[in-house]
Amino acid sequence: MRLRVGYSYTSSRIGVVNVRLEAVIQLIIATSFVASWFVTPIWAIKGINYSIYLTPLGYVVIFFGNKALVPPPTVFAVWLFALDAGLVPIIWRRTRYPLYLSMILAVLSLTMLVDTVLFQQRYLQVRGYVTSPTPNGYIYVQLPHVSVFEVPFYILLALVVITVVNSVTGAKWTNVQVIIRRRKITGGNQLDIIKGVLDRVGVKYEDVDNGVRVGGTMVLLKGNSLILVKDSIETEVSLDVALAELVRAGADQLIRTAGDDYEGE
Amino acid sequence: MASKYLKNFLIYSTALVVISLLLIVWTAQLAPTLIRFVTLTGVPYVQVASINVTANGVFISLTVVNNGSLGFKPTGGWVEVMDTGQFGVVNETSRSLTAVVPLTSRWLSLGSVGVRGLINGYLNGNPAYIAFFDVIPVHVVNYIDVSGISYNDCVITVTLNASLVVPIVINTVSNMSLFTKYTAHYVFNTLTTYSINIKVPSGNHLVNLTIPIKSGPNVYAFSCSLSNNTTYVLYMPTIITYEFPNGNETTSRLFIYVFTYRGG
Repeated sequence: MRLRVGYSYTSSRIGVVNVRLEAVIQLIIATSFVASWFVTPIWAIKGINYSIYLTPLGYVVIFFGNKALVPPPTVFAVWLFALDAGLVPIIWRRTRYPLYLSMILAVLSLTMLVDTVLFQQRYLQVRGYVTSPTPNGYIYVQLPHVSVFEVPFYILLALVVITVVNSVTGAKWTNVQVIIRRRKITGGNQLDIIKGVLDRVGVKYEDVDNGVRVGGTMVLLKGNSLILVKDSIETEVSLDVALAELVRAGADQLIRTAGDDYEGE
Repeated sequence: MASKYLKNFLIYSTALVVISLLLIVWTAQLAPTLIRFVTLTGVPYVQVASINVTANGVFISLTVVNNGSLGFKPTGGWVEVMDTGQFGVVNETSRSLTAVVPLTSRWLSLGSVGVRGLINGYLNGNPAYIAFFDVIPVHVVNYIDVSGISYNDCVITVTLNASLVVPIVINTVSNMSLFTKYTAHYVFNTLTTYSINIKVPSGNHLVNLTIPIKSGPNVYAFSCSLSNNTTYVLYMPTIITYEFPNGNETTSRLFIYVFTYRGG
């Protein structure tokens, strides 16, 4: 089955995911951004005894051996938005709007990062020196430092770029479809076999009470026999006939599939 | 007519922008409680340890007091003596800091002086400057000691090495004796006072005191020359007058000089 917003699926039936490579690249960039940020700070002010590192949990400030964590709330939005920017086009694929939405999320993520850096500029001021009184005078200590954006920042920029490119091209700049399929397709009874086959073929179906429905065609399991319900006529059928009727009912879906993501209004 | 998807999209994106704005405002309001102020504690400082007025100049020695986890490594600096207006460059030699300013006549009338200065160096690796001001008593150092002896024909010549800030007068030598160190045999022994009255000007000088030892009342000369490779001790109590600008000061000074004679 496909994951599509607007269809009533039971969550336990995620067997096949069929997405465009462009969307997968976007997800990979988004997750690698968040993952790399947990390894390396995205932005840092580096000095000998005064350093500030921007981690996903906030600023880590190190001042002459004193260590403190300053967590501005906007920092959490940076990576939550970025993660959503990767996930939205995977979850919602019916129209082109998820691409726009993930572009907005990526840009907002960058905006939150800028705001977080501004927080540092405003409240964690680095003047390049510190003075302190002594018993008979004062001490003036220079704090030379350099500001650097690190690897996660450039991955975030790449995420913004890819979301813009995907929005402009409709995520169609490659011709590759990525299909993720669950290996196990058959279950216990005949109904489970039917569902497994439909998953594999790519026909979307609805679970009904003790049966499945594709469009106006329904197959019900009564005892050990399958009942085909089509145009309000009930017929007892074999497994292969039931399958054939369900696939026929879902044929228009199959024709539409393969490349219709992000096309609808 | 806009589709329901466009409507959803507009609702989501507007909500996201609103959430972002609220986050920014919230962060700004939260900021004062998030940050905390930290200052340096237990910072090192520089003290004037001593001021020694000598004939070679005024030596101002400084010490760095490290009283915490922070370590200051000095590399140089300067001092200014407020009362004389003199500047000195601080030299750093193996953990001691010293500045030398020229000796002027004003120094001799000063009881204490104010010294201010700036020491540069590194605090835990960061370039740092320590400014200080201290009022410190002035210690006047007049150095005088025996540097050599000759004894021939019952005449002793004692060479004094003097490094003086003020002029002195060597008044008298009393109860002088010369004896061997290990066997304690007298070369001569006097129980009398010799009047010397030699005036030594300030500065660095070598002064020879020549005293003939003639046997007589209270003077016992057992030998008129020294033996080779023998260690002798000179015992010479002396009265010296220092001529300070604000008055003379007479003190007694005991010179004891141990030497091994290797003459020819």
